[in-house]
Order: sequence, then C-alpha cells, then structure tokens
Amino acid sequence: MQSFVCITGATGGLGKAFAVECANRGWNLFITDISEPALVRLADGLQTAYGIKVLYFPCDLTDADSRARLIEEMSGRKICLDGLINVAGLDFEGDFFDRTKEQIRTLIRLNVEANLEITHELLKLRNSEKTFRIINVASLAAFYPMPVKAMYSASKRFLLNFSIALREELRPMNCTVTVLCPAGMPTNEKCIRSIDAQGFAGRITTKNVGYVAACTIDASLKGKTVCIPGLTNKIVRFAGSLVPSSLVSQLIGARWKEAHRKSFQGNKPVLRTDN
Amino acid sequence: MSRKYNISDMTIVVTGATSGIGFAAARQLALKGAFVIGVGRNEEKCSEAIQKISEESPGARIRYIMADLSSLRQVRDLSARIRSVAAETGNDRIDVLVNNAGAFSNWYISTEEGFELQFTVNHLAPFLLTHELLPLLKNSEAGKVITVSSGSHYRTRIRWNDILMRKRYNCLLAYKQTKLANVLFTTELNRRLGPSSNIRAFAFDPGLVNTDIGLKGTAGIAKWIWQLRKNKGRSPDIPASEIVWLIENVDTPQSNEVYWKGCEPKAPSRYSRREDAAVRLWEISEKMCGVKWFSG
Repeated sequence: MQSFVCITGATGGLGKAFAVECANRGWNLFITDISEPALVRLADGLQTAYGIKVLYFPCDLTDADSRARLIEEMSGRKICLDGLINVAGLDFEGDFFDRTKEQIRTLIRLNVEANLEITHELLKLRNSEKTFRIINVASLAAFYPMPVKAMYSASKRFLLNFSIALREELRPMNCTVTVLCPAGMPTNEKCIRSIDAQGFAGRITTKNVGYVAACTIDASLKGKTVCIPGLTNKIVRFAGSLVPSSLVSQLIGARWKEAHRKSFQGNKPVLRTDN
Repeated sequence: MSRKYNISDMTIVVTGATSGIGFAAARQLALKGAFVIGVGRNEEKCSEAIQKISEESPGARIRYIMADLSSLRQVRDLSARIRSVAAETGNDRIDVLVNNAGAFSNWYISTEEGFELQFTVNHLAPFLLTHELLPLLKNSEAGKVITVSSGSHYRTRIRWNDILMRKRYNCLLAYKQTKLANVLFTTELNRRLGPSSNIRAFAFDPGLVNTDIGLKGTAGIAKWIWQLRKNKGRSPDIPASEIVWLIENVDTPQSNEVYWKGCEPKAPSRYSRREDAAVRLWEISEKMCGVKWFSG
C-alpha cells in the first residue's frame, strides 16, 4: 500500500524545504496550504524532479469547516500516513495592545488549535505497520517570553510543551514526536529584512531552510525530542536557560524593539507565514 | 573589419533586460536596428527601459515581456509569448537568444517549484527557455544562444550529492556552481546539436562589471565583496558591446570556441570541459524541468 507524509503549510519557505527534503528521500507527499495554485506548482515540480507521488488539497487551517473538509478528503481517499509535519504557523509582530481581535484569534487558531486538531485526526490515518513520525514546528522563541512577539512565542511554548508530553503518551503506539525549534529563517523578503535589521546577531543565528529541514528529518528518524539546528542557537538556548526568564525577556525585548523599528519603520505589522 | 552578420535583420531575445548588461545589450542591439524582445521581472522597469530606448531612437523596434524566471511555469509561459511577439515580424524565427538574467541570494530561497533560487534563475531557466525556443532558433540562418557566464566558473565543481546545495548552502559557492553550469550547458548543447546544426551556443564572460547583481538580496561579507568588485568593475556598456560583437562577427556554424571574453575566445575551466559532467548535469536539468531534448 502507498503511504504518504503529510505537510501543512507546505508552500511557505520552510514547508517547501521539508517537501523537497522528503521528496529527495523518495517519500510520497500529501501537501496542504491555503493557496491551491501554489500547491499545484509545488506538486508538479516535485513530481517531475523526484518522481514521487504528490497529492494536495487546499485548506485554510484557521477555519474549522475547511479543516473538516481536509480530514474528510484524506480519510475518504483512505490515505495512509507515515508521518506528519505541522509547519503551518504565523506571527503578527508588534505590540500586543496594537493587535486586532481578528489577529489574536487567527494566531491562536492556526498555531495552536489547527495543529492539535490536525495531529489528533491524522493520527487515525497512520500506517500501523511502521513507526509514525510527527514533527511539530515550534521556534527558538518557544524558550523565552518574547516582547513584541508575545503571543507568538507563547503559542510556540505551547507547542513545545505539548509535543514533549505527547511524545510520552504516544510512545506505546510506536509513534515519535520531534519538535523543531529554529531561529529566524530567511524564507521570504520580509523575514530577510527582519534578519538583516538584527545585524550580526541575526546573521549568526540564521540557518538556511534546506539545512534546517534536513537536520529535522534526521532528528525525527533518530527519535529525538527537540531539534535546534545550529551550534550558535544551541548555545543561545543553553545560555538562556541559566538566566531568570524576566531578565531574558528584558534583554530580548530591547533587542527586538530595535530590530522591529529598523525592519518595519512604522509600517503595518507584517504577516510571517513561517516561524 | 567587415561584419559577418547584419543585426538589423535579426530578432533577438535578451533576458534580464531592464538593468545592467542586459539593458545595455538590448539598447545597443535596438539602436543597430534589431527587433529586440527584452524580458524583465518588474513591469515598471520594463516600461522605463522601453521609454529610455525609444527616447534615444524613436524608430527602435523593441518589446518587453514580463516574467519571473525563478518560476519554470513562467518560463514556459514566456516562451509562448515570445513566439507570438516574434511572429509580428512575419517570420517564425529568433536569431539570437541572450540568456543574461542572473540572480544572487545570500540565503537559500526555495522557488515555487521547490528548487533553489540561484540554480533556477541562472541555470534551469536558460536551459528550459533555450529548449522551448529551439524550434524558432532553427528557423534562423545562423542561430546563436549566448549564455552569460562568468569568471566565477573557474575553480569550482558541481555538487552532485546536493546540487541545490540545500544542506550546505553558501551563496558565493552556489553562484559559482551556476556559472559553471552555464558553461557545461553550452558545451553540451553544441555537442547535442552536432556539427551540421545552424545553431551554436556560446558562453560569455563579461569580466568584472559594475552592476547591482550582488547587491540584490545580500548582506554582510557577501555584500561587501560584491561592492568591492562592483567598484572596480567596468561599465555594463562594455560587455554589452562585446555581446553585440559576438553576434555580428562570430561565424556560427564554423566556430568551435565555446567561451568568449573581450571579443576573444578563452579556455574555460578544465572541469567545464568534462563530458561526463556535462551529460550528467544535462540529464538532471531535463528531469527538473520535465523536458526531454532531441527525442525525435
């Protein structure tokens, strides 16, 4: 029987990198994202270049009905899964008080609600003959309370804790859960601007998406719990754990506010589709 | 010196024709009376280019088509549009294709089909565009495919295990690899066309040129290096005039010289002359673009 790896947020920068990494390993893919044309193009590219089977279904993961249609489609087609990579996520950068109600709801729906529901439903479609691999994409932000990205970092903290706990629950079911905690990644022009605005610190913590995707899949196959790509980031993470979180928050706050000003210069807050 | 070919009868396609070498070449070719089809990514810049050239020479025959060469789908689309624009001359023909468009990126950027940006724009796009336009080039008396490579192609190799450099991406090494790919593509195209073909492919080395290629999407050390190189570079008008010279003077069916710099043939790197590498790259590129050349 043919089995697939499901990737959400597959047409974003990191999602595409995961898709290519899986395709390169010869795995069939079921990809989803909000834009159908982007899915079609990616699916075509992967099928011709890597000769794998790619199925796709567009879905607005912030919308419960749309999610239901996705699940229905997948169970209807009797799709059997070897793995699930939850990439979809977003950030509305800027002060919490300046966010709209709609933005608050959207962020929680996508980063938290959608991730949990998709994981819950797709576990039912797993191929019981093999180890089922789940990868959740959190962020290095998950380790710290981050001013200017307060909601985002908290939502990623949620995913981090959830993933580590879920891993224990699923252990007897022959499933692994790996949570990826990357630093910012240069996935689109806005992210690149944001990285450049952070100056040297931005550049040394930044890892290319291809590298991140490859590392994460390797970590998942080894059954690792947390994957932090890059030595600098591992050090940052370790150093951060030695300092009280209120102090870390102050330090990060000072840095982020500066970077935020430089990068957006009073523009509207920017939607970042992946981490 | 008498010219071999008369540019004013020609239909010439130039990619990346809104700035740098591409714009300079499009301008010079148009002033010499060629029918120039320029390709650019940005609508505003395209109309600006048309305006500049038309101001200088109101009778210039010039068209611009918008396409983002990082998308192979748009490259296919582009070739169809080039075909219909070329037909305006009453001939189903292109005489010269100048694959000039190039990109540079500090970071690994995935294209919409999932490939790496530099590899796609610098190598796959010219590969596919040449494939799609080959029928039109065949209708020319002496068709030329000129791909702008660079001295960067020396002292490097193709990373077969990870050709997109997904795992160990380094912007300058990735760029060098694509420029090597341009030379390998050119030699292999000539080999596959065979000695009796009316089409010849050339790789062109513009030398150090004062353009913005390395400043788009760069920061840090790479930006600094490009800035230094740029400041020392020549005006893009000089390599553009060398492209014009190449079009006018190099005897197409006879010439066996692949790599040209400053109106003279030059030996490309030893690696770029390896037939096994050229064939292997060709097959990988065919697979990525989903095409098969010369299959009857």
